[in-house]
Amino acid sequence: MIDLLVQAVTFAFQWQNLVALAAGTVSGIIIGVLPGLGPSAGMALAIPLVLKWPPATALIFMGALYKCSNYGGSITAILVNTPGDSSNAATILDGYPMCEKGRGGVALALSATAAMVGGSIGMICLIFSAPALANFALEFGPAEYFLTALLALSLIAAVVQGATLNGLIAAGLGLMLSFVGFDVITGHLRYTFGWSVIEDGIPLIQALVGLFAVTQALVLAESAGAISRIGKLAGGFLEGARIYFRYPYTVIRSSLIGLFVGVLPAVGQSSAGLLAWADAKRASAHPETFGTGDPQGVIASETSTNACMPGDLVCTIALGIPGSVGAAVFLGVMIIFGVIPGPLVFTEKADVIYSLFVALVLTSFVLFFVGMTVARHFALVTLLPNEIIVPLTLVISLLGSFAIRNLMADVVLSLGFGILGYVMLKGGLTPVPLLLGLVLGEMVETNYHRALMLSGGSYSIFFSSIICKILVILIILSFVGPYLAPLWKRLTGKMK
Amino acid sequence: METVRALARTDVRLKVVLAFFFGLFYLLAIPYPEKSRQFPQLVALFSFIVTVVSLVRDFVRGARAAEIAQVDDTELTRTGEEDRGEKKKRFFRAWGIILASLGAGLLGGFLFATLFLFAGFGLIFGRREDLVRNMLVAVVMTICVFCAFHWLMGVPLLSGLFW
Repeated sequence: MIDLLVQAVTFAFQWQNLVALAAGTVSGIIIGVLPGLGPSAGMALAIPLVLKWPPATALIFMGALYKCSNYGGSITAILVNTPGDSSNAATILDGYPMCEKGRGGVALALSATAAMVGGSIGMICLIFSAPALANFALEFGPAEYFLTALLALSLIAAVVQGATLNGLIAAGLGLMLSFVGFDVITGHLRYTFGWSVIEDGIPLIQALVGLFAVTQALVLAESAGAISRIGKLAGGFLEGARIYFRYPYTVIRSSLIGLFVGVLPAVGQSSAGLLAWADAKRASAHPETFGTGDPQGVIASETSTNACMPGDLVCTIALGIPGSVGAAVFLGVMIIFGVIPGPLVFTEKADVIYSLFVALVLTSFVLFFVGMTVARHFALVTLLPNEIIVPLTLVISLLGSFAIRNLMADVVLSLGFGILGYVMLKGGLTPVPLLLGLVLGEMVETNYHRALMLSGGSYSIFFSSIICKILVILIILSFVGPYLAPLWKRLTGKMK
Repeated sequence: METVRALARTDVRLKVVLAFFFGLFYLLAIPYPEKSRQFPQLVALFSFIVTVVSLVRDFVRGARAAEIAQVDDTELTRTGEEDRGEKKKRFFRAWGIILASLGAGLLGGFLFATLFLFAGFGLIFGRREDLVRNMLVAVVMTICVFCAFHWLMGVPLLSGLFW
């Protein structure tokens, strides 16, 4: 193990690998900044560029691009309330309010520090525990996956806005929309109303662009001025880095949540960020400040998302089961370069895999310095007048939506989701649970059917294993918790 | 009276529409094969019930709020209404620009939508003294988008119904 690591460190520090790492970092940030062009589209666009490179160098480039696009996505989430990818959905909850208060620079620095700390913690844990974690993931069957996704949905619905019912309605809507298109179990077409564009389901990126970018553009268009209401940027990035280390418990808890969620195949980074945000809110002495620009919200969501990526890679590399769309593309890239995922990859291609891991740790630090030096300049976007920032947001995001299939129908779809997001916002419903429902819908339904097929139609399978029982208890608590907490406070208050 | 007032609220109207939507999706799933309809119907039914419960709560709260709100706040209400009117006007204008740009994009390709969006927002929302700057931004951004996406990435930005 030690020999392998020394060999991997030496390899990662070769000049061509360092250049690939730097190029991947910068490309990742740029791609992440463009809402709609997430890590998956970015990696897909970059494949022709790296086809003739040595496998390890190409994977380092792709790995850096994949990792850094998440940071890029947090920049738009913080500055224009539009996550570059679904994994940054939780960052907007506190990142954007911070920006409105003129603390965009601090929020970006928090995100850069989280990328370094969360990413490094995740990668170091991954290096030493990858084979064991892969074995734990094998314990999860369809019933466990179904319940995990349900837990993610119920937790988010319960805590996102403090209004459980509204959260559940939005999550239900997201789930319903995820049923549109071919049913993966029977192949039957559902809810398409004859529109061929949505036969393969509602495309996630187009929906994301509409729900966040178009909605945000419409909200901005309603008033004159700029995003930063106080008209200047307060707080520097060093302040952001200092604030980050004031919350060590939030950092550790969020990293653990990120790692755990990442290890579960197909649950993904979007759930990790939201779960960590919800956990930080629950643990905070001032939960009411969450959602209004509390730095802890940004710390929790970004640390968890960055720690999730290495966990996500475990399943992708060790089992060949991607945890997200980006990981699925990364899986394809690995296969293109002859690195066939599976439990044997840690012995057969150990040199390539451990070089990739070491390079990703290094990427976390490179990302921190790049983020800290350019963060301030990106934050200046919030001072642009709305008549420029609104069309800029619309063009970049709708272009991302259009470029995937070169269809104007996708632009129409994004605009439709924009109206939906706007109406939801005005009606007090946050679109975040809707997005999560849309992301997890297929996984929930497929695993529900698979579990029932395995049990011969008996629902007892959902209570069969210890993991299932724990998950069921957590789901019930997430529903009852918001109502029990005030009751408990009242009771303890009376006793005092 | 309170029921009518509650129905005028955006959140209540949205929930009524959503309840209808969940009900409709439940009914639409009836002809599907059993495995295809089982889960959507389960989710639709659950969401419908949650929406109805939420609506009932909104009506109850609305009635209570109406009892409390017996204070003379005419001046505040007027200011709020003026602000809301202005916002609504800007919102519809923005949609006008977006739809015009979408039309231009459908006819000439996405690049025309880019130009229309920047020029439209600059013209309608910008100040008169910033007109030249805004038009310059529109042209420069259109050229940038063309170079980056059409030339470098090969995205067909000039394929519309006209060509």
